[in-house]
Amino acid sequence: MRLAIFLLLILILGSITLIADEYERERNRMVRTQIRARGINDRATLDAMRAVPRHLYVPAVQRRYAYQDRPLPIGYGQTISQPYIVAYMTEIIRPRPDNSILEIGTGSGYQAAVLAEIVAQVYTIEIVRPLGEQARSKLEAQYDNVHVKVADGYHGWEEHAPFDAIVVTAAAEYIPPPLVEQLKEGGRMIIPVGSPFQMQQLMLVEKSEDGRVSTRSLMPVRFVPFERDN
Amino acid sequence: MRPMTRQIIGLGLHSAAIIAFQLSLMQLISIVQWHHFAYMIISIAMLGFGASGTLLALFREKLLSASGWLVPILMTASGFFMITAFQVTRLEVFQFDVYLLFVERSQFPVLAANYLIYFIPFFTGALAIGILFIKNATQIGTYYFSNLLGSGIGGLIVLFMFGSVYPQQVPPLIGLFSVGAGILSSGRRLIAPNISLGVVSVIIAAYLIYQPARIETSQYKGIAQAMNLPEAEIVYSKPDIHGLIQVAASPALRFAPALSLSYTGEVPVKKNIFVNGNFFGVIPQFREGQDSHILDYTTQILPWKLAKKDNVLMLDAGDGASLAQAMSHGAAHIDAVIDNGGVVQMMKTDFAGQSGGLYLQENLDIHVLEARNYLASVKDREYDIIMLPQQESFGGSAGINALQENYTMTLESFGLMWEMLSPGGMIAISTWTDYPPRTSLRILATLVETARNKGVAEPSRHLAAIRSWGNISYILKKQPLTPKDIEITRQLCEDLFFDPLILPGISPGERQSYHMSDDDEFFANVDRILAGDKSFLEDYSFLISPATDNKPYFSQFLRLGNIRELSGIYSTDQIPFLELGYLIVVVTLLQGTLLAFIFIILPLMKLRRSHRGKGGTLIYFGALGVGYMFVEIILIQRFVLYFGHPVYALSAVISTMLIASGAGSLTSGRLRAIARYPASIGLIITLMLLFYTFFLTPLLQESISSPLPVKIAVSLLLIGIPSFFKGFMFPLGIRYLASYDTSQTPWAWGINGSLSVISTSLAMLIAVETGFMAVMGVAVVCYAIAAAVFAFSRLFFRQKTTR
Repeated sequence: MRLAIFLLLILILGSITLIADEYERERNRMVRTQIRARGINDRATLDAMRAVPRHLYVPAVQRRYAYQDRPLPIGYGQTISQPYIVAYMTEIIRPRPDNSILEIGTGSGYQAAVLAEIVAQVYTIEIVRPLGEQARSKLEAQYDNVHVKVADGYHGWEEHAPFDAIVVTAAAEYIPPPLVEQLKEGGRMIIPVGSPFQMQQLMLVEKSEDGRVSTRSLMPVRFVPFERDN
Repeated sequence: MRPMTRQIIGLGLHSAAIIAFQLSLMQLISIVQWHHFAYMIISIAMLGFGASGTLLALFREKLLSASGWLVPILMTASGFFMITAFQVTRLEVFQFDVYLLFVERSQFPVLAANYLIYFIPFFTGALAIGILFIKNATQIGTYYFSNLLGSGIGGLIVLFMFGSVYPQQVPPLIGLFSVGAGILSSGRRLIAPNISLGVVSVIIAAYLIYQPARIETSQYKGIAQAMNLPEAEIVYSKPDIHGLIQVAASPALRFAPALSLSYTGEVPVKKNIFVNGNFFGVIPQFREGQDSHILDYTTQILPWKLAKKDNVLMLDAGDGASLAQAMSHGAAHIDAVIDNGGVVQMMKTDFAGQSGGLYLQENLDIHVLEARNYLASVKDREYDIIMLPQQESFGGSAGINALQENYTMTLESFGLMWEMLSPGGMIAISTWTDYPPRTSLRILATLVETARNKGVAEPSRHLAAIRSWGNISYILKKQPLTPKDIEITRQLCEDLFFDPLILPGISPGERQSYHMSDDDEFFANVDRILAGDKSFLEDYSFLISPATDNKPYFSQFLRLGNIRELSGIYSTDQIPFLELGYLIVVVTLLQGTLLAFIFIILPLMKLRRSHRGKGGTLIYFGALGVGYMFVEIILIQRFVLYFGHPVYALSAVISTMLIASGAGSLTSGRLRAIARYPASIGLIITLMLLFYTFFLTPLLQESISSPLPVKIAVSLLLIGIPSFFKGFMFPLGIRYLASYDTSQTPWAWGINGSLSVISTSLAMLIAVETGFMAVMGVAVVCYAIAAAVFAFSRLFFRQKTTR
């Protein structure tokens, strides 16, 4: 009897290890084929993408697609971004270990987890309560440098401002003035613009040392410039 | 009451229910998903007609011998399924989302289940009608009349219901018609299953009417997103003929489209208006004497800085914010054209206080009709600003409106606007920037070509455009821009962190002072259009040439021939999200064709050996199915422009066509069933449609500004006369067949029904690709073919020689 239980435990543990290894292999393949191959070279970003178990941040029914090259639905009309977009947004804000970063739109919590691997503090705000609560339970169990708030992201997080960078994952039709205000001089804000599942065009908002605010529409390297036949 | 009379009345009632159910289902699915998807499901459901014909062909004798009890129970069953079908699809296991269709395979079986659920009421209903037609083939004229008259009245009844009860209450109400028809047709031979089903149906219907379930929309629709916000609630909900109007409120719902980055104030919280779950506008908070507005911090400020404000015309001004902005700039007189009368009424009554009485201002005249209709019917007015609504939506609309005719955005419409401008007046229009650029380039192409058509040699001297991080606003001025205009525009850009995009004398560096782009090609493309480079418009990967009245699809950008190229650039999985609407019509046509093949051609092949001469039946009834629907679609498009209200146009065309055809079918009973009559009447219809191909539009344009009674009379004549003759064709054909080979009549019914389904999406594709003239051309050919089949009947119907 004891032997049977022991063997069963060995079998279960062995299976878990195998599955975990499989996820790790998929993650490494994802970084190699979807991210590095498209020109993401920042070492910290690549390490973070390798480290964070993306499959834990997608709904259970979507888990087998977690490392595919596409966004996935997470409910409430929201998505977890395509891995490449997460990496691109991470690299473009130039995160440093001593940075404090604000994220608007926690969603699944995946982007916050990737940032938490790199920077000192991540403050993330989600407006949809069920999503925010789910993300909080996952993130706060894994990281002590991620702070989740369920609130309207419009107001930012004034107590912890200014921020070195702001990542807006759920773009609105306007850029809230308090967010521009809470961005440090020389700071960067990144915003994806596009419908769910759609190819997203990224917009970088930069605040210069003199307070001048400008934007740049970025072309993800995955997409070649839009040209005619000739 | 005689059994035949009961049958005929029952048939009319049941036919009214089927068409009303179809329209109500389209309305409901449009709310839950989007309108083009409703179209896809309905096309499948309507295949029930084709399938019923096939079943009749295969089991004709059995079905006809059981018709006494079968027809009533089929009608009652159809009513039962009408009452319950929509509710069943709302069960969690059957819920699906059109957005997820392209990313989750598990959605496909759910979609198939939805097809089946909606198919059943149409199939059972059509089978009852088919049996009645075939059983009474010698009196088909009377039965067909009842069918068409009932359908015509059903179309009108459902419109009345849309305006008076909630959309989810409509199918239960309508289903009761068919239940009633089933009981009425039974006469004294009531059987227990029919009675039981009838009673159960009435109980369920009563519950659903009394306790209407809440409609859960797609999680990706505007209203669902709004309801995810904290403390979100629906503060107003009212059914309307234009759709379900709802107002949502939340402290996190704000309105400031593409707000300037220089703005440091508070972004105002606004209640949002939704129609059928789609964002329509906001409840403005107007204050008299207000001297600024949040839209003044967007690119939409441009015309207010440059133009006089004595007379302003705001087209499709459903977005109350633009009206409030116009008021705050001291516009002396505003004509606002809004097609949704329900929203106007709501703003004047329920939200009059909250909106500061904006819609009741003395200097505001509100015209409830389509913008284009206003432009065509108003004479001798001059405007300093003609403002069009903001185009596209934030983040792109994924081609949702691709197949929505938009007569306001055609070249002809802009020509009318130009004529209405005062000497210093201007047309103003804004758009969200889209990627890949389509809307922004098509607007520019339209403005440039409008100016050229009006004799302007250098449109670039009359055009200005400014750009923020998310918006572009254009103005086209009747006179060339003055140095002062240019200076004001530059200063405005500097103050609000905008960049000039088009301005006389602009330098390349100016275009990207605040908002840079990695895609320089966009700026080069703007210059190509400004220079009048027609080859660029033709070569561009998307359709960006101006829309015209013949092809009024401003939001349709997809070139079918370019899908492979686009897949290469953007990857195949992105194509559905670039232009979803048009692709759905293509898919609808493909699936309709496939299913029509399964339901018609395959069974026909099975029966090939037993009967000869089916070619004539297939060609004749197929041509009638396609021709009738093509004419209907063309007439709806033309009369949308004529009446200025899509809903009224739809009801006028469908009801007049059906009732006039019913009258024709009744009259056809007086003619003998010989080949000469369908041949000659087919020829008359062909000649009439040929005349319409070239002269319908001019005829309508001549009388577009006439009083309503005149317009109604004109439409009755123009729609009614050909429809009356078209009503002869189906019953004459059926009687002719029945006179020598009764086995073919079910085929006729099935073929006609199935090809009607295919032709809806086929007509749409032809209209989008080649224009309405071509659709009418196909209809002409169809009726010519139908006439020819009987003119040369010996070739097509071998079993009988007739004169």
